[in-house]
Amino acid sequence: MAQNKWEVVVVGGGPAGLSAAIEAAKSGCRTLVVDANETAGGQLFKQIHKFFGSSAHRAGVRGIDIGGELLAECEKQGVEVWLNSVAIGLFKEKTVAVERGFDNGAKSVVVLEADRIVLASGASENAVRFRGWTLPGVMGAGAAQTMINVNRVLPGKNVLMIGSGNVGLIVSYQLMQAGADVKALVEAAPKIGGYAVHASKIARAGVPIHTGHTVLEARGDRRVEEADICAVDEKWQPLLETKKTLAVDTVTIAAGLKPLVELAMMHDCQMMFHPVLGGWAPLHDAKMETTSPGIYVAGDISGVEEANTALEEGKLAGISAAESLGKIGEADADRIRSEIWGRLDGLRLGPHGVMRMQAKSEQIDHYKSAQSA
Amino acid sequence: MNEHRDDDVLICRCEEVTLGEIREAIQNGARTVTGVKRRTRAGMGLCQGRTCERLVQQILRAELGNAPEEIGTSTVRPPVRPVSFGSLVGDEGGKL
Amino acid sequence: MSVENEGYLTIEELKAAGQYPSGARFQEGPVAVIECVQEIPCNPCETACRFGAIRVGEPITNLPKADEGKCTGCGLCVARCPGLAIFIVDKTYGEGLGAVSFPYEYFPLPSEGDEVTAVDRAGRGVCAGTVVKILAPESFDRTPVVTVAVPVGKAEDVRGIERAGQAGGQS
Repeated sequence: MAQNKWEVVVVGGGPAGLSAAIEAAKSGCRTLVVDANETAGGQLFKQIHKFFGSSAHRAGVRGIDIGGELLAECEKQGVEVWLNSVAIGLFKEKTVAVERGFDNGAKSVVVLEADRIVLASGASENAVRFRGWTLPGVMGAGAAQTMINVNRVLPGKNVLMIGSGNVGLIVSYQLMQAGADVKALVEAAPKIGGYAVHASKIARAGVPIHTGHTVLEARGDRRVEEADICAVDEKWQPLLETKKTLAVDTVTIAAGLKPLVELAMMHDCQMMFHPVLGGWAPLHDAKMETTSPGIYVAGDISGVEEANTALEEGKLAGISAAESLGKIGEADADRIRSEIWGRLDGLRLGPHGVMRMQAKSEQIDHYKSAQSA
Repeated sequence: MNEHRDDDVLICRCEEVTLGEIREAIQNGARTVTGVKRRTRAGMGLCQGRTCERLVQQILRAELGNAPEEIGTSTVRPPVRPVSFGSLVGDEGGKL
Repeated sequence: MSVENEGYLTIEELKAAGQYPSGARFQEGPVAVIECVQEIPCNPCETACRFGAIRVGEPITNLPKADEGKCTGCGLCVARCPGLAIFIVDKTYGEGLGAVSFPYEYFPLPSEGDEVTAVDRAGRGVCAGTVVKILAPESFDRTPVVTVAVPVGKAEDVRGIERAGQAGGQS
């Protein structure tokens, strides 16, 4: 089956995967992107806000518009994109099993051979357990964001948001843009986790932000009708005497993301646990190659960060895969990589960035010691 | 057995495993995600632990204080997403 | 800082960050107030300003520094800031009146002439205001900038308006 042999197969068509594919194809690799969704772009098409970053790399442009630009560039560079197609297995000799979706809705499993594989499968939302967390109306903040910004469905009118990272803050804002009221945002830590400017946006829209608070319980007849919140002590234990009941129909959970690493584990890529990066993630070098030669990672699978870092990591992986196939010379690849690393370092500064910069360099150090062992 | 206020809270919704059942498994010697899985079926449902694995890891950590490296993760096997038998055996576009 | 706990800045915090226009500058007319006190990797405000009044430099996590002498209060930076953290405050708008311009990305947009409840950084209603201008050219990329006239004594506090249908701000 000659048509199922590719020079580069990219799993996941989000910002990391698409930019990897664009770079690989630009260098002349026959490149395929396999994406599970109806449209590629990953989470970009629900990022209706303007991105941070430097003017040099699309700061101030909305995620949705970056998604559109990437898709156009993929087409221009001749990247093949399979939609509704799920990578279900990754085997030795770099074969990928894909349940391929067709336009008529039918599905069929095909096995692809790839010279190089870029895993850009992203991350999944963390659950939080509390009494009633399985009731309809409790959902991930990212899921709520998909509902409002992609499907244009309002999950509820009155929302309790759990978690003050950037996802919790941004989705609170977007829920209000979509017409909901955010009754409160609770954060167990003593300080707000995300950017102050995002927090200020929702504070002036009237959202009370309760740091040092948690959700105790969601209640309702077949769906959420109310939820209890309370303060926590310094050991994160709930102070029940501070309990307050809020009339909400939706509880959205923004408790962080974890890298979606199954395929990397299946190929025996060595993993490392790092709390800053969302838990277990594959070790990789500065070219984004894992401990399994020819398998690259980029974006949230390599440690949860942001769309702008994912775009840059994708480029690193794409260029490096092309270089290892002899499509681009080492000197050129090195020059491009050092430009990318310059931008990545810039994005990993400041109080929110340095921890990620530190964690990513630990990952690369561990890769080196794993390789020399 | 120490009765916890929240023992009836569901942790694995696919297989309907409660917090109390997971604590019991830990008391009976489970030390890892896989140990809990073998005793309770937590993580063996449709989502293959994508939702509850993190919760099971947190419970193990809270009960035993072990490091993430000791608690581990689920073992990964293909298919990593639910697939119908039809698409596994069918030709392109085939259905059972 | 209250911005780390409650999510909003106080004027004292802004002054401490060295970003707040001087009293004398406020008396000269409209001026940009940049409420960005946390080092995040971001610099579109720098290129938004045609007068070179905003400087970020390298690394891009530097806090923006506004040169109040160069700032004309034109407002081009307001819609460009991805953090929606820049406001134009005009304490010379009219007899006893000040004007505050802020980004407003909610539907429905108010109309010029609307009487509204003006809110402060914490979302608390602080006074009545009148919408006097709405700018939403294509170059603002779907971030309309609304200007509301309020009593001049409230111009340094007002940072937005209650949304239509909002179930009451914090009180």
